[in-house]
Amino acid sequence: MDKNIRRKKTILFISLTLVSLLVNLPIITMIINSLKSNSEILTSSSFFPQQITFENYQHLHTKTMFWTQMGNSFIVTFFGTLLSILIAAFAGYAISRFRSKFLTGFSRLLLLLQMFPIILALIPLFIMFRNLGLINTHFTVILLYTTLHLPFSIWMYKGYFDAIPTELEDAASIDGCTGLQTFFRIILPISGPGIAAVAIFSFLFSWNEYLIANVFLRDEQLMTIPVGIQLFMQQYGTDWGSLTAAATLTMLPVFIFFLFVQKYFIAGSAAGAVKG
Amino acid sequence: MGIPQSKMEETSTSKKFTTSSQKRRRKINWLPYQFLLPTILLLMLINFYPFLTGLFYSIREGSLIQLEDFVGLDNYIKLLQMPEFWNALQFSFLFGFFGVAGSYLIGLVLAVLLNKDVWGKGFFRVALLVPWIIPSVVSIVGWRWMIGDQHGLVNQLVGFLGMDPINFLGTENGAIFSVILIKIWRSFPFMMVTILASLQTINTDLYEAAKIDGANRWQSFRFITMPSIKMISIICCILMTIWCFNDFDTIWLLTQGGPVNATENLIILAYKYTFTKSDVGIGSAVSIFSLLILMILAVIMLKFQEKD
Repeated sequence: MDKNIRRKKTILFISLTLVSLLVNLPIITMIINSLKSNSEILTSSSFFPQQITFENYQHLHTKTMFWTQMGNSFIVTFFGTLLSILIAAFAGYAISRFRSKFLTGFSRLLLLLQMFPIILALIPLFIMFRNLGLINTHFTVILLYTTLHLPFSIWMYKGYFDAIPTELEDAASIDGCTGLQTFFRIILPISGPGIAAVAIFSFLFSWNEYLIANVFLRDEQLMTIPVGIQLFMQQYGTDWGSLTAAATLTMLPVFIFFLFVQKYFIAGSAAGAVKG
Repeated sequence: MGIPQSKMEETSTSKKFTTSSQKRRRKINWLPYQFLLPTILLLMLINFYPFLTGLFYSIREGSLIQLEDFVGLDNYIKLLQMPEFWNALQFSFLFGFFGVAGSYLIGLVLAVLLNKDVWGKGFFRVALLVPWIIPSVVSIVGWRWMIGDQHGLVNQLVGFLGMDPINFLGTENGAIFSVILIKIWRSFPFMMVTILASLQTINTDLYEAAKIDGANRWQSFRFITMPSIKMISIICCILMTIWCFNDFDTIWLLTQGGPVNATENLIILAYKYTFTKSDVGIGSAVSIFSLLILMILAVIMLKFQEKD
């Protein structure tokens, strides 16, 4: 009996290992390719590099705008996340603590907004921002990232705020705190996990986003890295070396970040999906 | 799940704000609206204004540079007469159906396996989430090489089996197959995580009891597991259908809708008409049309959440 269970466990472990490998094969291949020389990528059919070389990374470093674009990505991600954390917290608090017909309707609307096809907003916004001379600015992209991510963030905050006992606010109001003071002094400081969850999702969303950045950032100097990489595909169609090296480096911050926060991420995504 | 209406009214805060003095009750409490102000302003600017403008654009003629006269429903009529539109509509459904079915099945199987007592559970959970968290551009670079026609791993395997290399992105069927496969690859982790979360709430005593009653493994899956995760499955599948309909990245970065429009969904069609053909009227009409489909799906989803 005991032996049987052990064997089953081993089979399960081995099959999950194989599945994980298979699932990650495109990524693994990409990383390995980035360590091959360009000619080896195109001619050799062996999976592993005959000789590990960093020339693709060197090329990226010296000959392209990679670091500028990486910097751009950091800028839009940082400010997009910061604004999301703040603005969504206000709104999440409002729909968690107060009741009115308007607020109920509003939170419903937020759920519906998550289904909104972004392309519909992009057409008028492109024309509007162009007339305002705001194409090719990080400001525009940050504004869009913050807003498009709001419904999801607000609902995540609501979940966290709902769990905070209201006695805390009652005590604060007896002590003479106004509503805003209560929020900043009592609620926000103890909602660390909520802020973390929203920050994680905003970070990943902004770092990975492609469509909006592609429409609004046309200047190579200002592009975020997902758009920059796509340029590699067109301009240097056969330059698999730089392409794979750039993709590997783009994935790296997300991956490292994810390793640290995966527990919150998994909890957050499960909760977020369950709530809509 | 959802927001049970009754629970909302029960919270002590709601009492706090309605049972305060009579004067307070008649006066509107502005505090929540102050808190909502930045959100409302942003949503007006980025969602509401474009929605209305988009609606107006869809009944006008014009390019990105210059919008011309109102043409009534001409754009919609033109749209309904375009084979391209019907093709995109059809592909949207095809993409949605196979994307959802594939990612749900794979997600379900993996969630059930990960819910068992297995070594390295934490590691597998992280490893299997990778396709979901990395940027779309990165996954497409990885996959392009995998299915590339020269030394791509898939074609090396095909060659090893003694067949001719497959031109995945050059033929219509190959491209359709590739975008769906990659969409499934990118989506199954979401299904896996949510189903797993839902599996973990099932009381294990139920399985013990079923075992004593002589139920086999399939029967306990069929009569205990499936009913417990039914609701979350429906909601996730509708959500995923909406995401598939809205997908731009996977398709655009892999095939740009080609070859010969084979992988064009409504979003790609709208993008092409607006930003490459500069026909804002048609582009907006396609967007409004896809909004309608998405709204129907969203309303169905809200109904299910309420029921829950």
